[in-house]
Amino acid sequence: MTATLGHTSILLALLVAVWGIISPILGSRSNHQRYSAFTRTAILAQFVLVTLAASSLIYALVTTDFSIRYVAFNTTRATPAYYRVTGLWGALEGSLLLWEWILIIFSGLVAWIYRDRQRETMPWVLMIFSIVSAFFLGVIAFVSNPFETISPVPLDGRGLNPLLEDANMMTHPPLLYTGFVGLTVPYAFAMAALIRGKVDEAWIVATRRWTITAWFFLTAGNLVGAWWSYHVLGWGGYWAWDPVENAAFMPWLPATAFLHSVQVQERRRMLKVWNLSLIIIAFSLTIFGTFLTRSGILSSIHAFSSGPVGSVFLVFLSFVLISSFGLLAFRADLLKGQAELDSMVSRESAFLLNNIVLVSALFTIFLGTIFPLLSEAIAGTQVSVGAPYFNSVTVPLFLLLVFLMGVGPMIAWRRASWDNLRRNFLWPAAASLLAGIALFIWKVRDFLPLLGFTLLAFVVLTIFYDTALALRARRRTAGEGVIRGLVTLARRNQRRYGGLVVHLGVVLVILGIAGSMTYSIEREATMNLKEHLNVGHYLIQFEGLKGSREPTHFRVEGSFRVFHQGDTWGVLSPALKFFPNQQSPVGRAVHRSTISEDLYLILSGFSELDKNQATLKVLVRPLVVWIWIGGFVIALGTLLAILPLGKSSSEAA
Amino acid sequence: MLKRRRFIIGGLIILAALSYIIYGGMQQAIVYFVTPSELKARENSSADKFLRMGGMVVAGSLQKDLKNLTYRFDLTDGNASFPVFFRGVPPDLFTEGKGAVVEGRIGADGVFQATTIMAKHAEEYSPHLEGKDGYPKSFVPGKELTQQ
Repeated sequence: MTATLGHTSILLALLVAVWGIISPILGSRSNHQRYSAFTRTAILAQFVLVTLAASSLIYALVTTDFSIRYVAFNTTRATPAYYRVTGLWGALEGSLLLWEWILIIFSGLVAWIYRDRQRETMPWVLMIFSIVSAFFLGVIAFVSNPFETISPVPLDGRGLNPLLEDANMMTHPPLLYTGFVGLTVPYAFAMAALIRGKVDEAWIVATRRWTITAWFFLTAGNLVGAWWSYHVLGWGGYWAWDPVENAAFMPWLPATAFLHSVQVQERRRMLKVWNLSLIIIAFSLTIFGTFLTRSGILSSIHAFSSGPVGSVFLVFLSFVLISSFGLLAFRADLLKGQAELDSMVSRESAFLLNNIVLVSALFTIFLGTIFPLLSEAIAGTQVSVGAPYFNSVTVPLFLLLVFLMGVGPMIAWRRASWDNLRRNFLWPAAASLLAGIALFIWKVRDFLPLLGFTLLAFVVLTIFYDTALALRARRRTAGEGVIRGLVTLARRNQRRYGGLVVHLGVVLVILGIAGSMTYSIEREATMNLKEHLNVGHYLIQFEGLKGSREPTHFRVEGSFRVFHQGDTWGVLSPALKFFPNQQSPVGRAVHRSTISEDLYLILSGFSELDKNQATLKVLVRPLVVWIWIGGFVIALGTLLAILPLGKSSSEAA
Repeated sequence: MLKRRRFIIGGLIILAALSYIIYGGMQQAIVYFVTPSELKARENSSADKFLRMGGMVVAGSLQKDLKNLTYRFDLTDGNASFPVFFRGVPPDLFTEGKGAVVEGRIGADGVFQATTIMAKHAEEYSPHLEGKDGYPKSFVPGKELTQQ
C-alpha cells in the first residue's frame, strides 16, 4: 500500500515535471501569462507529490514495513525511532529521494518568493528546476526505486549501518544535499538569463543570498563530515582525501570562487563569462560527485557496469555540460566588451588571483581523484593517489589563498595607491612579521607551519586594524563608542562585515588544520590492568573492561584514568560496539578537548580470554577544536551577511 | 597588446607552477595496485617498491599476537595467496574472510610487510551495491605503529 502510494506519487510528479519543462516553451510562443502560471503550478504540484512520496517512505521506515526492500535493508525492529527516520538517507535510494525532496522545496521557495517579481525570467528559472527534478524523479522511478517491494516479507530487517547511528552523521547528508541543491538556484537563474539573452547583472543580484546560503550549507556539510570522521570513524583524523570526501569538497571551491568573482562583476562589469562558467562548473560538480561516489568506478573501472545509477548520472552530467556551455557559446556575442583590469595592484586582481588559486586547487584535486581511472583506462595499471599528493599540492595553494584573504578585502578597487597600501597594510604586516619571529623563537621552526601561522596572523590583523580605523572614524563623526560603532558599521554594510567574520572563521578552521597536521603525537600499546602509559603531557592508566547490552548491540568499554600534568581528568571510556548483523565491531573513540589540544583515545582491541588486557591507541592533536569553533564563526558571519537586519545591504562591499 | 602579452606570460607562469606541484605531489604519492597473483608472478622485480595489494583475508590464516600487536595472515584473490605481516592496530572492520587492502613492501623474507591495512569502509551500505569483483570500494586506513 505505502509502496504503491509512494511510487505512484513519484510517477505523477515526473509527468508534472515534464509539463513544467514544456509549458514555458509553449508560453514563449503564445499567451505568456497563462503558461508562466502553469510553470509555477507544476513546481508546486511536484512539491506536494514528492513530499507525499518522502512521507510514505518515512512512514514505512517508522512502522518497519519490511515488505519494502529499502526498509528491510535499513531498519530493524530494535532500531530507535530517531534512526528509523534518518534511515531515509541511510542508503542510495533514499538519499536520492531526499535530494529530490530538498530540490523541490528550494524550487517551491523560489517560486513562492518571486511570485510577483521577475515575471519574464521566472518561467525559465522554474523550467531549469523542473529539468533537474525530472532527472532525479526518473532515476527514483526507474533506476533506483526506494519503493521496490520484497517477497517473502522478512521477519526482521538488516538494519542501518552502525557507523551511521550517530547524531552528527545524521545531519551530515542533509546539510550537504542542501548545499548541493542550493547551488541549483544561481545555476537556474544563470541559465534563464542566457536563454533570455539578458546577461546583465540581474541574475547575480537576484541570487546573491541564495548563493551565500548554499555556500554556507556546503561548508557546514563538509565540516560536519569531518567531525563525523573524527568522532565516529575512530581513526583519529578528520579528513582522508577519500574520493567520497573529495566529491563533497570539490563543488565548494568554484562556489567560493563564484562568491568573490560576482562582486567584481557587480562592481566593474567584468568576468561575465567567467562567472557563468564557474556556476556551471559548480553545479556540474554536484552531479559529478554523485556519479563518482555511486557508480562504483572508484575501486576498479571494471565495476562500471555494476551500477546503472552511475551511468545515468554520467549521461545527465554530459547533458548539463554540453547544453550549458553550448548556451554560453551561443550567447557569446552578448557577453563581449567588458572592462579591463586597470592595475595588477587592485581588489579586482586580488579577487581574480583568488579565483585562479581556487580553480587550480579544484583542478589538482579533480586530477588526483580521477587519476586512478585515467591510469587504468589509458595505461591499464591500477594505481592509487594517496593523501600525501593532496596535502602537498593544496598546502601551497591554500597558503596563497590565506595571504589573499588578508589583502583582498582591504585593497582599493581599480588601482591601489601607495598611500592606500601603506595605510591598510603597513601595521598589520609589521605586526604579523613580529608574531612570526615570536613563534620562531618560541618553538615553531619548520618553514611551512611558520609561514602558515604568520599569514593567519596577518589576516586577523588586517581585519582588526581595518575595523579599528573604521571605529575611530565613527567616534570622530558620530561620537559612538566601540559597541555602538560596531553595530552601526555592521548594519550599514552587512555583506562586508559578514564576509569579514566568515574570513575570521576560515582562519580558525585553517589554524586547526595546520596545528593538527604538523604537531600530532600518536602512540599505541597493549596494557595490563593498572599499567601506565605516558604520552605528551598525559599519563594514562588502564582501569579495566566492562561489557553491557544495549538495545541494538553489545558494548565493550575500556576505562582509562587520565592525568594531565599531575591533575586527574577522570576516566575516559572508549568502546567497541558489536552489532548482531555485522561481522566486525564498530569503535567508539572518546576524546577530551581543550583549546590547545585534543586527547583522543581509541580502544583497538582487548583480550577475550583474559579480561585484564586492552590495546589502546592514543592521539594528541593540537588545536583541532578550532576547526569546529571556526565553523560556528562562519555560521555567524553568514547570518550577518544574509539576514535582513534593518538597513538595506545592497550597497556593494 | 602589451597587456595581453602580460596576461599570457602570467598564465604560463601559473601553469608551470601548477604542473610542478602536481608532478612533485604525484611522485610522492602514487601507489601501484597489485593482486596477490600478480605479485607472486613478479616477486623479484617488485622488491623495494611501495605497493598496495588487495584481496580477501584467507579464513583460518589470521594469527594475532595482541601483546605485541602483530598480525600475520594471507591475502588471496582466488588464484594465489600472499603472506602479509603487520604490526599495529588494524581497522575495526578487518577480519578473516573479508576484503582488505594492505600497503607496504616485500621484505627480505618474502613476506609483504604492511605499513597500513585498510578494511572495507562501511559507508557503502547494502551488499548489492558492492563492486562485482568483491573488492571493497572505499577504505578507512589503519596505521602502522610508528613509535614505541
